[in-house]
Amino acid sequence: MPADQETLGRRLGEEGYLADEGLLTAVHLAGVLGLPLLLEGEPGVGKTEVANVLARVLGRELIRLQCYEGLDASQALYEWDYPKQLLSLRAAEVEGRGVGDLYREEFLLQRPLLRALRAASGAVLLIDEIDRADSEFEAFLLEFLGDFQITVPELGTIRAQSVPFVVLTSNRTRELHDALKRRCLYHWIPFPDAEREQAILQAQAPGLDARSAARLVAAVHRIRGLALLKRPGIAESASWARGVQALAGEGAGWPEAMRRAAGLLVKHEEDLALVRQHAAEVFGD
Amino acid sequence: MTEQALAGRVRDHVRGFLRDLHEQGLRVPVARQRVFLRAIEAVGPRDATHLYWIGASTLTTSREDLEVYSPTFERWFGELPVRTVPDQELPGEESPAPGGKGDEAPSAAVFGGAAGLAAGSGERESRPVFGPASEDERAVLALLRRELPGAIPAVRSRRRRPGRRGHWIDVARVCRESWRTHGEIVTLRRRHRPRRRRRVLLLIDVSGSMKQHSAGYLRFAHAAVACLDRVEVFTFGTRLTRVTGPLRAREVDVAVGSLSEVVLDAEGGTRIGGALQEFLGNARYVTMARGALVIVLSDGLERGDCEPMRAAVRRLSLLGHRLLWWTPLACDPAYRPVTRGMAAVLGDVDAIAGVRDLRTAYGQVQTLARE
Repeated sequence: MPADQETLGRRLGEEGYLADEGLLTAVHLAGVLGLPLLLEGEPGVGKTEVANVLARVLGRELIRLQCYEGLDASQALYEWDYPKQLLSLRAAEVEGRGVGDLYREEFLLQRPLLRALRAASGAVLLIDEIDRADSEFEAFLLEFLGDFQITVPELGTIRAQSVPFVVLTSNRTRELHDALKRRCLYHWIPFPDAEREQAILQAQAPGLDARSAARLVAAVHRIRGLALLKRPGIAESASWARGVQALAGEGAGWPEAMRRAAGLLVKHEEDLALVRQHAAEVFGD
Repeated sequence: MTEQALAGRVRDHVRGFLRDLHEQGLRVPVARQRVFLRAIEAVGPRDATHLYWIGASTLTTSREDLEVYSPTFERWFGELPVRTVPDQELPGEESPAPGGKGDEAPSAAVFGGAAGLAAGSGERESRPVFGPASEDERAVLALLRRELPGAIPAVRSRRRRPGRRGHWIDVARVCRESWRTHGEIVTLRRRHRPRRRRRVLLLIDVSGSMKQHSAGYLRFAHAAVACLDRVEVFTFGTRLTRVTGPLRAREVDVAVGSLSEVVLDAEGGTRIGGALQEFLGNARYVTMARGALVIVLSDGLERGDCEPMRAAVRRLSLLGHRLLWWTPLACDPAYRPVTRGMAAVLGDVDAIAGVRDLRTAYGQVQTLARE
């Protein structure tokens, strides 16, 4: 972990992630206190990216657990390699030797949570879209997040050798349990202000000059102000910027290129119609 | 000595801040307060901004908490460093629950008093009274509770369960059982994906034009809540109300009767498009419609502009598995959906059926079960 917050911010910036002070403080604290970090925010504001970049900055392995409905312990934690056990049983029979313990390390299949605990130099564990898993799974996470330990009945309790950096993300499609939230630091990632978004676009779309970036950001902010079904996130605005840049490079005029690439920014037919209706005010100067 | 005195004052200040948060309605558990203090000790806040963010990440657990936290912080530590909560209300956010927020308490105390009481009693007089169910209705409700689960379309669950037949061999079970027979596999065990009923979403029109049907519809909703595991019920007239919770009461008259306290817009005007848009504007509600059997119980008599209603119904139909429109008007064999509202949504609705009371609803459930 970088020694102080400024260093952390600079290192994240070098990796192309421009965090504001709130997020920096939360990430820094999560590292210093060894607590999991719960990030919420609209889709596309860079929740998942935080973990990706952190893994690079800290030089740790990124272990990702994508949540989905029906996720259970055997997919998240560990499972015994039954076919292997069976084969070794048969082999032992043929060779006429004892089988020994069938529940030992070599038969253990490690899933993301267990791998994160056992990573020697610590890992960055990303538990992505926790709101997609069912609430039973949340309850199951409590022991893990509270004490960074997991109990495997056959092996006993496994403790983290060095505490993993845990990032949880949620899109707020449902309310998470208080017990889970209590164990985490919480940060809501808002849409960035114009200045920061401009810097992000310039980092994400190399060769974009400041004036063009400002113009794109202004358009994105105006579009977010419309009553859309889904407001574009930073990921969308960055890919839009690259699209517009490509079209402009082929000789299209700017408002024309912005209009033609709008599908990268807005992904609903109704929203596209709305944007087209307001095209003059949105894309014009 | 002075340094000690200063430290003492800082400590008191922080303690006062935490107590004030509690009084303002942000109840931070002691464990989290300790995390906050540990954080201060560990990183040493540079300035008020830094302290603000340290508090935000340790003391709050949702965006609504920030709305209490920020003003309280401002009172105790000077001006707010940054714009903290996005200035515009996000679509997809629940409007704050009445009484759920601590910071509403003082304003209620200031503005409450006589004016608030008068408004309250004024509304109470016009509230609908949903009477008790008749014997006949109770008999139908019992039938509904029995047959409704079988009528809901099902999908294969994502979660595999042991079963007698199925695509997947349950290796874990086969191996465990083979230990008993010295590693010899005697029987193969299998896993399958069991069928799971889809979500059900009921949107019930309680406006004035539906006055004589509302009670029956709500009783139908009660039966649905009682016998299905994933069901959500909303009422709408001039606004949208989620009534799944109150309907969970066991006794149908108690449950439906309690709604007269909750559904404040009953027997009033209609704003179908607006109410449905409100539903679709909330990300959490939208999840309830995803892949669901959506049933709208309404006569579809929209006043004014029908465009919001058309757009909302179109989106609902795209989100859900099937969209059924139950209207009392269609009980008449001569009914044709020619009113502007119904004509506009016709293309997006999977079926329009006549339902005016529990009997006719039961008939539709039987039809559903046959499909």
